Amino acid sequence: MTGTTELITIPGNWNFDYTYFAGEAASRFFAALKESQQIMGARCPSCQRVLVPARSFCDACFKRTADWVPVGPEGTLETFTIITAAFPGLPKPPIVMAYVTLDGADTALVNLVHGLDLSDIGAAAAQLQGQPRVRAKFIDEPQGRITDLSFVLT
Amino acid sequence: MPIYIEGVALEISFADARRNLSELIFDTVRASVDDSGREMGEIDSVVLAAHDLVDGRSLSSMVTAPAAGAYLRDEIRFSDDGAAAFAAAVTRLEAGDNRRSIVAAWGRSSEHDPDAFSRALFDPYMTRPLGLDEFVLSAMRAQLCLGRDEVREAHERAVTRRRDAAGRNPRALKAGGFTSAPHFPLDTGDMPLWADITVSMVLSTEPTAIRVTGMGQSSEPYLFGDRPLRSIRSLSQAADRALTEAGTPGSAVDVAEVDGLTLIDEALGLEAVGLAPAGEGMRRLADDPRANPSGGGASGYSRPAMGLLRIAEAILQLRGQAGPVQLDGVRTALASGSSTVAGQTQTVIVLEAA
Amino acid sequence: MKSRMAVVGVGQTSYKRAHTELSSADMIWEAAEKALDDAGMDISAVDAIVMGVAPDALAGENGVEKTAIFGAGKPYVRVNTGGVTGSSAAFAGASYVGSGRAKVSLVISLERMGQATTSQQVFNTIFDPVYEKDFPLTTITMAALRASLLMRVYGYSERDWAEIASRNYRNALKNPLAHIHKDLSPEDILESPLLAWPIHRFEACPMSEGACALVIAGESSIGDRVPAWLQGMASTSDAYAMGDRFHRPEGTLVDLLSLRRSAERAYADAGVTDARKDIDVVELYSPFSSAEAMTYPALGFCAPEHGPRFVQEQFTDLSLPSFNPSGGPQAANPVSATAMVRIAEAALQVRGMAGERQVPGVRRAVATGQGGATQFSTVCVLGTERPD
Repeated sequence: MTGTTELITIPGNWNFDYTYFAGEAASRFFAALKESQQIMGARCPSCQRVLVPARSFCDACFKRTADWVPVGPEGTLETFTIITAAFPGLPKPPIVMAYVTLDGADTALVNLVHGLDLSDIGAAAAQLQGQPRVRAKFIDEPQGRITDLSFVLT
Repeated sequence: MPIYIEGVALEISFADARRNLSELIFDTVRASVDDSGREMGEIDSVVLAAHDLVDGRSLSSMVTAPAAGAYLRDEIRFSDDGAAAFAAAVTRLEAGDNRRSIVAAWGRSSEHDPDAFSRALFDPYMTRPLGLDEFVLSAMRAQLCLGRDEVREAHERAVTRRRDAAGRNPRALKAGGFTSAPHFPLDTGDMPLWADITVSMVLSTEPTAIRVTGMGQSSEPYLFGDRPLRSIRSLSQAADRALTEAGTPGSAVDVAEVDGLTLIDEALGLEAVGLAPAGEGMRRLADDPRANPSGGGASGYSRPAMGLLRIAEAILQLRGQAGPVQLDGVRTALASGSSTVAGQTQTVIVLEAA
Repeated sequence: MKSRMAVVGVGQTSYKRAHTELSSADMIWEAAEKALDDAGMDISAVDAIVMGVAPDALAGENGVEKTAIFGAGKPYVRVNTGGVTGSSAAFAGASYVGSGRAKVSLVISLERMGQATTSQQVFNTIFDPVYEKDFPLTTITMAALRASLLMRVYGYSERDWAEIASRNYRNALKNPLAHIHKDLSPEDILESPLLAWPIHRFEACPMSEGACALVIAGESSIGDRVPAWLQGMASTSDAYAMGDRFHRPEGTLVDLLSLRRSAERAYADAGVTDARKDIDVVELYSPFSSAEAMTYPALGFCAPEHGPRFVQEQFTDLSLPSFNPSGGPQAANPVSATAMVRIAEAALQVRGMAGERQVPGVRRAVATGQGGATQFSTVCVLGTERPD
């Protein structure tokens, strides 16, 4: 099509609201964070893995989990990244995010790592390579959310 | 190659805060696998129907597919009606791509806003600015159909019959749920009961008592004004294909579970699948016990699960497991599922009991 | 006994930030028309249509695929599997042909993210609202977590990521459809801003719009068209949580288990026994150059611990397959379509119709798909030889 037809654009905006049911398992996990500063895992009766966060079924075996056991508070940092660019809607950089396998767990948990000197990104990265040991640290007044805890190097 | 139903499970609930979406799905899929008597190790395919905007997150199958048994399996998710997922699973088994498949669909009305979902289906240029939603289109169909006195009289009886059936169906939602505000000339009794739906089944090529004998699909143009308004052409075509394959006329099925967003759509659906002649759909819905004995949309509704839910109810009828709404002597069943926008694409499945 | 089928038509729009002159329906039709023209077929020859559209929120149109039904009266279904949508849709179309319910399938995927002004926020909603949304988990940080692990476990360096990216950009210069046409050196890439250590901006993919379509014909409908035979197709879905994939015996986070499993099945069907020798071209779905490295062992090109060496070998050993002659997702990433574009490009290579980017003498090509946080993986093997 030729000619000088003006190309129309229409601004739009979607606002979808949701109510997510966290469910009993997640609610119980959060209650343990808030009330006893414990991080809970759930054991699959089939593969015997301790899954963290504790959950009601094991997707690998497709079976309901059985016992709940506390894990940590120390663990091993498996991998990390240092966020340096700002993303809209997220906390300001630099931020360290990592996956940590807490002692007693068979799966790793994601959270932030605090207390590092981030003035030299390369040096901080070198410090975090090599699977350092970390410890879960709770905020003074836990709210029953995953942000109640973060990790620090031991 | 014949395809058989090995297991089926469904749950209609509302706002059960004890379970998150994945847990709701796991419970139903697990139940369908238990019902089949098969082990997970025998299942090599998972075909799903779910929608990001219903589940409340983009690529929602990341977290929901494992809950439906997808771990290290060949899994695919259709953002389309559950009956379309069923059809896809049939093609996979017929092609020899897989041996045994889970088919699951869900939608949780307690977590999302179905009206917002519907409004977003309309294009931003010609239709969304007018505030259209799918109920507007249904209301326009109703306006055309309810013009005659005898249809209006049958309509009142159809509303009552549907409500009673939902009351007697043990699987229907009994507490909770909600309905959208009806647009004239629709009335509350025409509206679907928004609920939390999960449905799952296990299909394979190994013989069981329930066999898929016919399958058909079709589609119509997007703009409502481009379609015939008094009939659902895509459903007629899909039903024609499925019934021809099954070797059964629509009038001869023992039960028809026909999906429609509103009662009006269900009535027109009966005409489309051949259970009623043109203009007689409402009368059939009022009088014919074969038509939607489950209570249809009054038992609980959520996109995009409905086609699979209709198939599940048809299977229960064939097995003699439908409970208080069971019909006698059910050997052949037809079930249909409709997609957005306002039933633009349709899938029809015909099943038989051995 | 699986029936034989081939890609006999390919259609693509160009890929760019925004096709301001086209509606979503226009884009679907353009790709479909081109594919049908390429196949020398009319829509009446098509028996089933499978659409691939990933997150609706990127288009801002719910059910955007419904707006463009042409050839109404046929089965018309939509797949949404995130990054693998394009290949899932192709495989679903292939199943219709394999079942005998279609002699010919038309599969089309559309990416309309040019209409999104907040696409990163849309991508962020793929994560778990209960445990994960409070963290800066994005497609970029997910990739960075893996890249960091690859460096620790297998000794990759930042330079490796930059060299892979540079190769992709250079290849894209010969692909007129690609979004990015920039000859970037590894130094240019390492000097680009760090997004999340160790990933630099030019190692990430662009946000592209476009549509891609394929015509898949069963053997009896091919006639004298030039086929790219579908010799093997496989799809595998993994666990969701990245944290669940560190310590399991089946394979760790960077072992890309779902891709390895898909490759094993697709290669078995295709008769591929030595990937380095049997495959001439690989079109890889890796939105980050570091993610590409994870695919090499999974696809059988090298042992995991030899990955960094394999990166170097690609530049010196001409007997190895050519990687991403199209430029790959680094040069164009229309998310819903990208996995289908890989199949399209592989098909063009096999059929000898890839223009300036044609690799000489291609007999077999592999196209991969990746979705979620490397949760979903597809492998498609196409070749000049009709399967037995």
